[in-house]
Amino acid sequence: MTITNKNYFEIFSLPEGFDLDLNQLTAEYKSLQAQSHPDKFSGADDATRLQALQSSSIINDAFDTLKSPLKRAAYLLTLNGIDPEENDQNHLSESLLLQQIEWRDALDNATDEGDLNTIGHLKQEVIEEQQNCISEFHDCANAYNFVDAKPIYNKLQFIEKMLSEINRSEEKILDY
Amino acid sequence: MALLSISEPGQSPKRSQAKKYALGIDLGTTNSLVASASADGPCVITDQDGAALLPSVVAYLGKDKPEPVLVGEPALKHAEHISSVKRLMGRGASDIKHKLSYTLVEPETGGMPLIETQAGLKSPVEVSAEILKVLAARGKSYLGKELGKEVDKECDGEIDGIVLTVPAYFDEAQRQATKDAARIAGLKVLRLLSEPTAAAVAYGLDKKLEGNVIIFDLGGGTFDVSLMRLEKGVFEVLATGGDTALGGDDFDRAIMRWVQEESKVEPKQEQIAELSSIAREAKHTLSNKDAVELNFSGWSGILSRENYYQLVDPLIELTLKACRRVLRDAAMKVDEITDVVMVGGSTRSPRVQEKVERFFQRPLLNELDPDQVVALGAAIQADILVGNKYDSDLLLLDVNPLSLGIETMGSLVEKIIPRNTTIPVSRAQEFTTFKDGQTVMSLHVLQGERELVEDCRSLAKFELRGIPPMVAGAAVIRVSFQVDADGLLSVAAEEKSSGVKSSIVVKPSFGLEEKEIESMIKASHREAEHDRDLRRLKENEVDALRIIEAIDSALAQDAELLDTSELKALQQSLSALQETLKSGDADLIQQHSEALNELSATFAARRMDSQIKSAFTGKTLDEVDR
Repeated sequence: MTITNKNYFEIFSLPEGFDLDLNQLTAEYKSLQAQSHPDKFSGADDATRLQALQSSSIINDAFDTLKSPLKRAAYLLTLNGIDPEENDQNHLSESLLLQQIEWRDALDNATDEGDLNTIGHLKQEVIEEQQNCISEFHDCANAYNFVDAKPIYNKLQFIEKMLSEINRSEEKILDY
Repeated sequence: MALLSISEPGQSPKRSQAKKYALGIDLGTTNSLVASASADGPCVITDQDGAALLPSVVAYLGKDKPEPVLVGEPALKHAEHISSVKRLMGRGASDIKHKLSYTLVEPETGGMPLIETQAGLKSPVEVSAEILKVLAARGKSYLGKELGKEVDKECDGEIDGIVLTVPAYFDEAQRQATKDAARIAGLKVLRLLSEPTAAAVAYGLDKKLEGNVIIFDLGGGTFDVSLMRLEKGVFEVLATGGDTALGGDDFDRAIMRWVQEESKVEPKQEQIAELSSIAREAKHTLSNKDAVELNFSGWSGILSRENYYQLVDPLIELTLKACRRVLRDAAMKVDEITDVVMVGGSTRSPRVQEKVERFFQRPLLNELDPDQVVALGAAIQADILVGNKYDSDLLLLDVNPLSLGIETMGSLVEKIIPRNTTIPVSRAQEFTTFKDGQTVMSLHVLQGERELVEDCRSLAKFELRGIPPMVAGAAVIRVSFQVDADGLLSVAAEEKSSGVKSSIVVKPSFGLEEKEIESMIKASHREAEHDRDLRRLKENEVDALRIIEAIDSALAQDAELLDTSELKALQQSLSALQETLKSGDADLIQQHSEALNELSATFAARRMDSQIKSAFTGKTLDEVDR
C-alpha cells in the first residue's frame, strides 16, 4: 500500500483514536522522513524525486495534523464520516456564548502593560476550558460517539480562536 | 564510514568513477565562500593567495576590455563596482531604502531593478552569477588538483552539483532569484539550504551538539535566527525569524549617517564607496578602542564607543526582538535553550556578543570561524546529496519562514501555509466564484504575516480560465500550494466540477521570467565561448611562435641541406605564418602552422639523417655499439 492510500494513523503505525503517544509519533515521524525526504533521492530520476516530494509532504502534513489535539480531533471526525466544518448554528451553548462576551470585553479593555496580568488570567481560564473540552472530546471519541464529539470540536475551534486573539493582544502590548 | 569495496577478479576498483564532485557555496552580501567536503572533513577552498573570502563585488569594464568582468579584490580596486547585490535579489526598486554607489533602473514592467554598468544594464541575478562563476572555478581547480591526486588520476574537476545557502528568512522571490543565478552560472543546485541550518550542520557534527540550539546569524546584510532541535543526526528547525535587510552594512550606514550629520557634508554618489569604507574601518577600530578619529572630505571628528553604541543599539535590539519572536513561536523559554551558536562576520562585534549573551543568559559558542561555518555546513550537505555518503543519517527538516496565502474578497489574505511549517509541504484550499456566469478567476499569491494584501509581499498573479458558467458560488476552485525542500513554491488551480485546470501564466512579481533567464544563460554561454575562443587563439599563437622559432634556428644551422626552391618555399610559408599571427584568427593561424609543419617535415628528416651521419662519421662499429 502506498503512502497516499493510508490514513494518517496508518502512516505512523498508530492505533486510530484520540489517545496518542506523542513520543512514539515523533520517533515514527523522524524515521519515516529519514527514508522519504527528497534529500535522500537527490540523484534519482525526476519521477522518483517527485514521488519523494509528495510522500515527504504527506508525512509532514500527517505529523502536523496528529500532533495537534485540535487538528487530530477534526481528522478523526472526517475519518468517521462527519464534516467537522459543517455549519450548524446551534453548536455553541448559551453559557459559552455568554462566557465569550465576558472574555472579549476583558480583552478589549486590555491595552497596556498594566493589563498583562489580566490577560494572563484570562489566558489561564481559556486554557482550562480548552483542557476540559479536550477531555470531553476524548471521552466521546473513545466511546465512538462522534455525533456528540462534533459540537465539542466546534467549541474547541472557538476556544482556539479566542486563544489566538488573546495571544495577539499580548503580543501587541509586548511589542513582538 | 566507507564500505570496503571488493572488486571482481581481474578488475581493479574504479574509485574515480564513484567519487562525485560537490561544492558548498555561501553567497554572502559582503563576502562569499566555497567549501568542499573530503574524507578528512570539510574545508574552505582558498584562492591562489590563500584568501578564503571572496568579496561579493563585481565590476563590469566593458566588452572591449581584455577582462570585461572583474570579481572580488580586483573589482574593489575599480572605482565603479557593484557591492551588496544580495540585497537586490528578488526585491523591487522601492524596497531599496539606502543610498547605493551605483545607479538602479526600474524596468518598465516593474520587478527587480537593473544596474547601470559599462556593459549595459545588468540584473542582480546576473551579477550574482558572476560571483558564483568565480567561486565555482576556484572549486573546480581545487577538486581537479586535490581529488585528482586522491584518485591517482588526472581529473577535470567537473562539478556534479552544489549546495547554495540562502538566509532562512529569504522569501520565495529571493530564493528563486538565487537559484536562477546558479543556473545562469551553469551550476546544478542540489539544494538551497538555509544559512543557519548549514551552520548547525557544521557545528553539530564538529562539536557534537544536541538539544535546543539557537543559531544567531548576523552577516553583512542579512539577519537570521533559527531555533533548532538537534538529535541523533536529525536537524529540525522549530522556528525561524529574521530580517533580510539587516546586517553589519547597516552598522556602517549608521556611522555614515552620523558623519553626514556631524560634517554637514552631503556625500556625492562617487564618495559613497569611500565613506562606507571609512565607516567600516571605524566600526572595526571601535571593537577594541574607546574612540576613533574620522576624516571625510575635509571634515574630521571623533566617534566615541559610547556614541557608536547609541547608533547601533537600536539595530541590535531588532535582532533580539526576532529572537523573542522565535522563542514564542516555538513555545519555548530562554532556560530551555541548551546552546547559542554565533554565525556571520558581524557576530565578531563585542557589543552584539554582550547583548546576545545577556538575552540568552548563557555563554555563546563561537569557536568555529563565523565567516566560514555556513559554507562548511553546505559542503557537508553537498557531499551527501551528490551521493558520496549514501549511508549518512543526516536529516535536515527546514521550515518556510513566512506564511503563504492567496488574495480573497476585500483585499484580504487567506493563509494557506502558515509560517514555520516543516517543508516540503503541500496544502490546498477551495474557493468559489462570486458572480453568476463567471468564467475567469484571477489568483494572487502572497507571502507575509499581515492581514491585508498591501502589507504582504506579492509573489505572483495568474488566471484560471475556462471555468464553466455557473451561478455564483457553485464552482469549486481548488488551489494547491506545493513548497519543496528548497522552500520554492509552485501553485496549481483546478475547477473541481469540470476538471478544468488552470491555463496558468505565472508572472513573478519580483523574479525573472523563464525567457529572461534563458537569454541570460545564452549570454553566459556566449561569454564562455568567447573565453574559450580567446584561449584557443592564445594557444595557437604560442604553438605558431614555437614552430617559427624552431625553424628559424634550424635554418640558421642547416640551411644548406635545402635546395634554393625548397628554401624559398619554406621561407615563404614561414613569413605567411608570421603575417597571420597578427590576424587574431585562431583557425587561420592553425592552418598556416600545420602547412609550415608539413612543409618542414622533409627538412627535419634531412637534418636528422645528417646528425646521425655526423655522429657515426669517423667511428668504428665498436665505438658506436658502446
